[in-house]
Amino acid sequence: MANEERPTTTGFSVIGKRTAMVDAAEKTTGAGKYTDDLSVPGMLVGKILHSPYPHARIKRIDASKAQALEGVSAVVTGEDAPVTYGILPIGHDEHALAVDKVRYVGDNVACVAAETEAIAEQALELIDVEYELLPAWFDPEQSMKAEAEFIHEGRPHNIEKEYHHVFGDPEKGFAESDYVHEARYIANEVTHAAMEPHSTLASFELDPHTGKLGRLTVWSSTQVPYYLQHKLSLVLEMPMAQIRVIKPLVGGGFGGKSEVIPLEIIAAIAARAAKRPVKITYTREEVFWAHRGRPRTIVDLKTGVKKDGRIVAVRARVVQDGGAYCSYGPVTILYSGALLGAIYDIPNVGYDGYRVLTNKPACGAMRGHGTVNVRFAFESQLDEICAALKLDPKEVRQKNFLKPPCITVNNLRVLSYGLPDCVQKVAAASRWKERRGKLGRGRGLGMGCSHYVSGAANSIIRSDMPHSTVNIKVDRDGGVVVYTGASEIGQGSDTMTAQVAAEVLGCALSRVRVVAADTDLTPIDIGSYSSRVTMMAGNATLRAAEEIRKQIASAAARKMNCAPEDLVFREDKVLNNNLGARALSPAKEHRNAAEILETTDAPRGPSVSGRVEGQILRGSLQQKRKEEGPKDWMTFEEAVVAAIDFHGALTGTGSYAPSLDARGGKFKGAGVGPSPAYSYSAQVAEVSVDEETGEVTVHKVWAAHDCGRALNPVSVEGQIIGSVWMGLGQALQEEMVWKDGMLMNPGLLEYRSPSSVESPEIEPFIVESIDPEGPFGAKECSEGSLAATIPAIANAIYDAVGIRLREAPFTPERVLAALRAQKNAKKLNLTEGVDPTSPARFREHGGALWFRGKGPQRHPRDPAITGQQGSAGGDD
Amino acid sequence: MIPASFDYESPKTLNEAITLLASREDAKLLAGGHSLLPAMKLRLASPALLIDLGRIGGLDYIRDSGETISIGALATHAAVAASRLLLASSPLLAQAACNIGDIQVRNRGTIGGSLAQAHPSADYPAAILALDANIVATSQSGERVIPAHSFFTGMFTTALRPDEIITEIRVPKTAGSGTVYKKFHHPASGYAVVGVAAVVRGATGKIDDVAIGITGVAEVAYRATAVEDALRGKPASAIAEAAKHAADKVEALGDNYASGDYRRHLAQVYTRRALQEALSSKRK
Repeated sequence: MANEERPTTTGFSVIGKRTAMVDAAEKTTGAGKYTDDLSVPGMLVGKILHSPYPHARIKRIDASKAQALEGVSAVVTGEDAPVTYGILPIGHDEHALAVDKVRYVGDNVACVAAETEAIAEQALELIDVEYELLPAWFDPEQSMKAEAEFIHEGRPHNIEKEYHHVFGDPEKGFAESDYVHEARYIANEVTHAAMEPHSTLASFELDPHTGKLGRLTVWSSTQVPYYLQHKLSLVLEMPMAQIRVIKPLVGGGFGGKSEVIPLEIIAAIAARAAKRPVKITYTREEVFWAHRGRPRTIVDLKTGVKKDGRIVAVRARVVQDGGAYCSYGPVTILYSGALLGAIYDIPNVGYDGYRVLTNKPACGAMRGHGTVNVRFAFESQLDEICAALKLDPKEVRQKNFLKPPCITVNNLRVLSYGLPDCVQKVAAASRWKERRGKLGRGRGLGMGCSHYVSGAANSIIRSDMPHSTVNIKVDRDGGVVVYTGASEIGQGSDTMTAQVAAEVLGCALSRVRVVAADTDLTPIDIGSYSSRVTMMAGNATLRAAEEIRKQIASAAARKMNCAPEDLVFREDKVLNNNLGARALSPAKEHRNAAEILETTDAPRGPSVSGRVEGQILRGSLQQKRKEEGPKDWMTFEEAVVAAIDFHGALTGTGSYAPSLDARGGKFKGAGVGPSPAYSYSAQVAEVSVDEETGEVTVHKVWAAHDCGRALNPVSVEGQIIGSVWMGLGQALQEEMVWKDGMLMNPGLLEYRSPSSVESPEIEPFIVESIDPEGPFGAKECSEGSLAATIPAIANAIYDAVGIRLREAPFTPERVLAALRAQKNAKKLNLTEGVDPTSPARFREHGGALWFRGKGPQRHPRDPAITGQQGSAGGDD
Repeated sequence: MIPASFDYESPKTLNEAITLLASREDAKLLAGGHSLLPAMKLRLASPALLIDLGRIGGLDYIRDSGETISIGALATHAAVAASRLLLASSPLLAQAACNIGDIQVRNRGTIGGSLAQAHPSADYPAAILALDANIVATSQSGERVIPAHSFFTGMFTTALRPDEIITEIRVPKTAGSGTVYKKFHHPASGYAVVGVAAVVRGATGKIDDVAIGITGVAEVAYRATAVEDALRGKPASAIAEAAKHAADKVEALGDNYASGDYRRHLAQVYTRRALQEALSSKRK
């Protein structure tokens, strides 16, 4: 087991302990309910008709035959909800169902609500849609050159957004550099592949007399219930107060559920038309079409250094293939530039970012949003520079560390910075100094570092309201209920919330129940994305709990004849600290009391007659303590009763907004990148390369992550390991493959994310830098580790066999091509677009022979046919 | 993801199954269901009648028949992989079986079903070919023994007639030979991008006889006869050169994951490795 020697967090009762997730039992026994498990009376099944064409105008939709089919309640199309929406206020370019055009194979055209799935599928086949084909764009560098037939009006040359940033003087920096390295890196498109497919159940209240529709309740697999409530309100043209969004258990998000996904609105539109509840669950293929994954990214990177490896200047040009809609695109492309900063001390930075539209499913946010592909490029380039200058990659990283507290050249505030410790830990554990470059040909070590935000300091909704608010209610029997809008998506949000509340109140964790992500019950929280929950909802919980503690303390102090500030809340008790030298130390009577509580009280579960039992217990305890002497402590429950007797119902509210000085600069695009705190990661990967087949085997990954403070170490380690797995997938095998805009591998039999089965040994190390703004010093731990894995593997491959892989994933074919190029051996005719040494880089090619289908038609003027704009093959 | 409607029969005896199969042209046999059911859900197959062989008892044996080992068609991959009899006297089939899919697939899938499916990247065909096994097909006109080399006729097609059911597979014992199955797994599906099965008979560095079956490269699994011819009676040192002919005269398939050229290259590398390993495993 890793981290046996990790210094444990001291002085805390609940946090810092290896704690099972509060929802572990229901998830592992199968008792827990995910959206698709839910059912309400009269519920219909919704099925969506998707576009078979990548870019076409809809001339006519005739749904009359489908409508007439027995068992069909409603067929809805774009006309039923023509309002546009999008996750960003600047990107309202989506229709739930296409109104004028379809923009990718899989775009949403119509929805049938029927009694059964079979009837709904049959009805889809009866919908007649007439399309007029339009030229389609699949390669971002070609799409940027488009002169007509743009994918969206108002987006000339299909450029969704471009940003040009200059900090310091990069050109002067390059001139002053001793060595300048320049190269192009490509990371191909990947998707989240969360285990749970998206699912939404929408149900309207119906007035039985008038038949009029009332309030709407939506259960949905979402990371962002409040954004969903807002977008439903927008598109359905209903007040938000008339809409309740509930998030049941979610089986993984990774960003794929961090914006409003078409089915969430379509289900509501269909339910409105059918006047009956409608549930839609995506098939796996539809999940791939809904996508919102990590865009294919082309990074042209230039780095200038002094002879000793000190970085002087960096310039990056980044082109992202964003797919057909805006989604989070501008945020993604801004993160790619902003997070060039805040990890190393770089005085001069130039950045040109282009988010480009193409006729493919929209890309969005995915674990490590915006930073992963640029980090792959940067950390690889650093390794190349080290090879050229014969420097140790670890030492060069150490030379370039930031010196916090500081504000980076692009206005990012860094207070806590555990990167030096991270690097130290993985270097020591992997015996970097003794083993790198010395493992013999075919085996090698590589290092990569990364960082990530702990939530965005500026919310995408451009509002001054706090980013998270939490309410706490305490019952008379000492039960604590935390109401939080934060969405548990498997990352441990609810457990973190319960831990923070229990720590502040000094009560047993089992007293705390978390009611989360129900817009009718819980105060607003903007959602589970950008690794913001621990920092923001954690801080809000901490403040709400402090407010409750204050109320309990004032009542308890009266009872104990002391000042409220003398009281300490620990181990399910409220103790007078002045009398309690013995109370805080494990004094005998104190322990006896704890034992009594353990054996007789029932804080571990609800009891039908809890109140009566509690009163009897309190009576007997008070009796017992009267005999024992002065009143220097109360049980938590006694203190709660005292407070409720004194104040009435105990409720507390806490909220969190990032501090003003963490919110970044004022230039265009400055809103993305600033965060209250940054997490840091360093990793070393050990790989071997089969030089005959090109197969790469990862033997071990040492991964250190600075999470500020580990509120739940087992959860932090799980997040580190999960991030490394996801990084491994992108490094070695995951890649979305297209043909004429059609996804060739839209299933888990063709697209594989690594799981525990193919996992190498991963040794996680927790580094605690105790952030001044984080709750108990905590910051992010769920995303930051991912980005380090890919370059660590690329660099290890270089250490093993001396080839530099600048295109991910490093499939056996790509590795073999690079090995053959290195040896000037005969080239093999590899899968089109795969060979990184061949000029045609864009992977858009024929599918498996045995999956060879007809495919969508192309427009006669399509550039891929006419060749006027060059083939889809690109020509860099 | 919903199959078209179909009739379903679950005969209790082989005779009933044969009669049912002969009575309907649009019937399909269901064994483990790992290929047929997904195809039906995707509506790539829409049989009007499914004849479920799962209730027929006594067809999942693996027994010693003297010169050969007889395997009932309903033996699961897991049973084949774990058979002590096979591991002791003809291990190649078990070596291939333990590489199939994952635990769930191996527990459900059957050898007869897999052979009848004849997937171009299935594992068994390479081993069946290298072993010169015989496949017994039964119909109303009785049993017919089909030698492996004439069983696989193309992608998803075999020498089976529409009214025939595979009932038994007979594999020769390979005592005195080294056998190895080497496989390059597709990372997602687990199918063989390339799978090489080798049987090598020889002594102290000399190869007396050799048989190589290769799957995953072409539309149909094949015997690498050029390699075999180049090695009979030759020393082990000839392996490296001979293996370069592993995909001679073969039209290699390409897909999203691996091009035909790459598969051809892998066939050469894996053939060499399989042969070397088979020879050294024999020496032990």
